[in-house]
Amino acid sequence: MSKSVAAASGHALWAKMPKANAELFALTYGSLVTELIRDYDSIEEINEQLEKMGYSIGVRCVDEFLAKSEQHGMTVPTCQNLKDTAEVVAKTGFRMFLGISCDVTMAPDGNAFSLFMYENPLALFVELPKTNDMPTAAGGATKKWEDLKYSNLYCGILRGSLEQINLRVSCEYIRDVLQGEEVNEIRVTLREVLQDGAGDDYKEE
Amino acid sequence: KTFFIPLFTMASSQLLLFVIVGKNEPLYEAEFHKLGGTSSGTSDSVTRQNYFVLHSALDLVDKASWTTNNMYLRVVDKINHQQVSTFLTAGNIKFMLLHGGKNEDSIKNFFNEVYELYVKLSMNPFYKYDTPITSKFFDTRVRAVARRYLS
Repeated sequence: MSKSVAAASGHALWAKMPKANAELFALTYGSLVTELIRDYDSIEEINEQLEKMGYSIGVRCVDEFLAKSEQHGMTVPTCQNLKDTAEVVAKTGFRMFLGISCDVTMAPDGNAFSLFMYENPLALFVELPKTNDMPTAAGGATKKWEDLKYSNLYCGILRGSLEQINLRVSCEYIRDVLQGEEVNEIRVTLREVLQDGAGDDYKEE
Repeated sequence: KTFFIPLFTMASSQLLLFVIVGKNEPLYEAEFHKLGGTSSGTSDSVTRQNYFVLHSALDLVDKASWTTNNMYLRVVDKINHQQVSTFLTAGNIKFMLLHGGKNEDSIKNFFNEVYELYVKLSMNPFYKYDTPITSKFFDTRVRAVARRYLS
């Protein structure tokens, strides 16, 4: 699938989606993260919880994506390889749900790709505090702001949606604008292509 | 016993003190020096005097806040050659400026710009309302606004 087709579909689908207020969205996510920080003791748990939430979202996102593109007469041609999948995710998927465009580069071995986001709708107004430690629950371990992956939700979304189309991946947030970098970078690595099937219980005798 | 406050009128008219006061404590402080003024001339006792003047005006701010619907309360107190102007935010946070009697318009614009910066800061999920402001970003921006409007 060529880049321009993916981008054009993304643009068209974005126009047809119902919209939400960006500030409300960002503030809701912000209060969610602050609650998590208050509730959990270690940073890893917080990052993991965000990823799990993203996973639940992603599982539902892919169905909506396929349904909406069908409904509006935009066929998404079958992807031949991971490169095509990456293009569709970055140009059509992110565009459709968030209204942002991402750049994607493939890894040399073809088994991984990196998504680059220049703007992050979840982190509007957010600035990580400069103090050394985060507020901890009584008796908890010390947590550092620089270990927090604020937008880890995206990693979960990618993992969840790709798993529904039989691609088991692992996603990781490599660079974050909130931590002082230039761009947000998420690395998606393909672990396994799953087999279609309903499982052992349903195997025919 | 009489309380003796030294009067350093020359240095104090060049110095502007801006404080953001919350319910219990000051949340942010910044001193601005007017262009061409002596920046090395302020001594400790001048600074202390300025803070004293500003904080003693707090009662007058509360009194003035009942007289008007506006957020900008203009000059609430006059001491020696200095005046205290105040701006009240919607959440009852007080922006107070100690100055040497500049024109009101530029001070009003200054307060409005700082108010916008303050609102943006309070949208940060990690900033808790009525806590000290530690953001370097906010500090740089406020100083830039001050340079634009107050010198």
